[in-house]
Amino acid sequence: MKPELGTRPNPIIIEVKELSKVFPGGITAVNKVSFSVYEGEIFGFLGPNGAGKSTTIAVLTTLLKPTGGQAFIAGFDTEKQADRVRSVLGYVSQDLAVDDSLTGRENLILQAGFYHIPRNEIQYRCDEVLKLVGLEEHAGRLVETYSGGMRKRLDIAAGLIHRPKILFLDEPTLGLDIQTRQQVWTYITGLREKYNMTIFLTTHYMEEADSLCNRIAIIDQGEIKTIDRPSKLKREVGEELVKIRFAGGEKNTAEEIEAALHAIRGLPTVKSIRPEHDSQVIVSSDGEALVPLIFEALQPLQVKINSVIVKKPTLDDVYLAFTGRNLRNETADKNQALQSMIRMRRIRS
Amino acid sequence: MYFLSDVYYVCWREMKRFLSQKTRILMTVFQPLIWLVLMGNMMNGLTSNSMAAEMLGIDNYLSFMTPGIMIMTTLFSGVFGGISIIWDRRTGFLNKMLAAPISRAAIPLGKMIAIAIQSVFQIAVIAVIAALFGVKFVTGMTGILFMLVVIILFSFGMAGISLSLATVIKSHETLMAVVNFLTLPLMFTSATIFPKLAMPSWLKVIATWNPLTYAVEPVRTLTMKGWVWPQIIPGLALMLIFAAVMIAVSTRQFSKSIS
Repeated sequence: MKPELGTRPNPIIIEVKELSKVFPGGITAVNKVSFSVYEGEIFGFLGPNGAGKSTTIAVLTTLLKPTGGQAFIAGFDTEKQADRVRSVLGYVSQDLAVDDSLTGRENLILQAGFYHIPRNEIQYRCDEVLKLVGLEEHAGRLVETYSGGMRKRLDIAAGLIHRPKILFLDEPTLGLDIQTRQQVWTYITGLREKYNMTIFLTTHYMEEADSLCNRIAIIDQGEIKTIDRPSKLKREVGEELVKIRFAGGEKNTAEEIEAALHAIRGLPTVKSIRPEHDSQVIVSSDGEALVPLIFEALQPLQVKINSVIVKKPTLDDVYLAFTGRNLRNETADKNQALQSMIRMRRIRS
Repeated sequence: MYFLSDVYYVCWREMKRFLSQKTRILMTVFQPLIWLVLMGNMMNGLTSNSMAAEMLGIDNYLSFMTPGIMIMTTLFSGVFGGISIIWDRRTGFLNKMLAAPISRAAIPLGKMIAIAIQSVFQIAVIAVIAALFGVKFVTGMTGILFMLVVIILFSFGMAGISLSLATVIKSHETLMAVVNFLTLPLMFTSATIFPKLAMPSWLKVIATWNPLTYAVEPVRTLTMKGWVWPQIIPGLALMLIFAAVMIAVSTRQFSKSIS
């Protein structure tokens, strides 16, 4: 599903240099953050609420001015060349910002107007994006009759109407059901493949980041904690675990099990062994390759094994390791709570 | 320049929204109707004597009151204009507009124009209903068109106040409270519904300086008396200044501070 980038690094399309944002009142939301995003990349931006994620996006999409540092989008300064930046990027917020009292098509016409698309081209562009998200047949209906998933698709279509080079997707699948989420994923990877579009994505779903993103950055307390390919991060952060449950009772004696563990301890990639409930947990740098080795080593010993499980670290583990908390640990102020309540209502209606 | 096109699209959206809400359209027609039928006819009984006629300047309270209702209706449409900004902020639509390369000033201006168009529509409805109730507009069609100019300027001004407030006030409740706090006293201390001659002297002083009195004066003169320029020019001039100042303030508010 995830497209691999070529070995040659693509040109940089988003460049953030020492970016800071201190809000009046002295709260530092973003503290000297630097990173780059390459053209054609799906870049995941993860972090707990209040970590500085939204502030960074707001600066990159020209909605906020930084208090320090600079950010360049396709070579344009977000502060000094805001209008140039705005016309090369598409922004799909998590708010489902479509107008309920207009039809689907009218929403798109409006968006086309906002992006200064020539009048005689507007209808064509509308048809193009409607087809892309599969809403052609519903274009004439008022958006208030749409389901949450249709609204989200319309919102994404609106973000694409000016054929942006970079698309910002803020929590694109928040609150959507599994089928719709899969659909949105397909659109996202399709965009990258068809138009070589760069996609900057935030999400609270780790499996989404894992399967979509070429690289991810984890931000916490206003600072980038790490930035790399998901596979590499997973490898770095956690060992792989092989859980073996030996058959109990008269089938295996304690001496037999002890001998088996001794044999395993001597195998390559094994780092340590510890008992857990009725199983033995083997920590290894390559669990999958270890399993056949274990069987080979245990063959002459005649111990009976009930089950073997290989557990690889997930992006959740990576996330926990870097932020020290679970991603869904939410805190929000009153206004945010109201806003998210409105959002969820609109998704579910 | 894309500025006019930006204003057009913001305004287009507001008009589409307005036209899609059938109940809202119906209400804008019914509200003045209720005012005219209930208040107007009731007061007509109370004021059909020579003393009242002298205070009103005409022997028909409805003729006196129609311009007042026109101004009141415009006042309310205008002053609630800011609500749409707060709503747009909550639904994320405001950020969507701001992330697009449209002129910031086009947002308040487009909304102002849409509000003014809606007011013009309401005023037309009021004029027709009033005419059916026997109100005679002495300056005729030309007069009514001239009244619309005053009303559009007034609408720009009031909407400008509301939109500017909405860039700082972030909740509906607060904006509503502030707006009500402003409008009701403003209305009752003006010559919108009651003639100045019927007021106690202290109120007369306030009414003389009340901007609503300035707004209603040219409209009333054109309805009841004719082209009496000394009674038209001051109001018209003040409305011009009011509109210009509020356009400047609100567009500046949007350009400098948002979100």
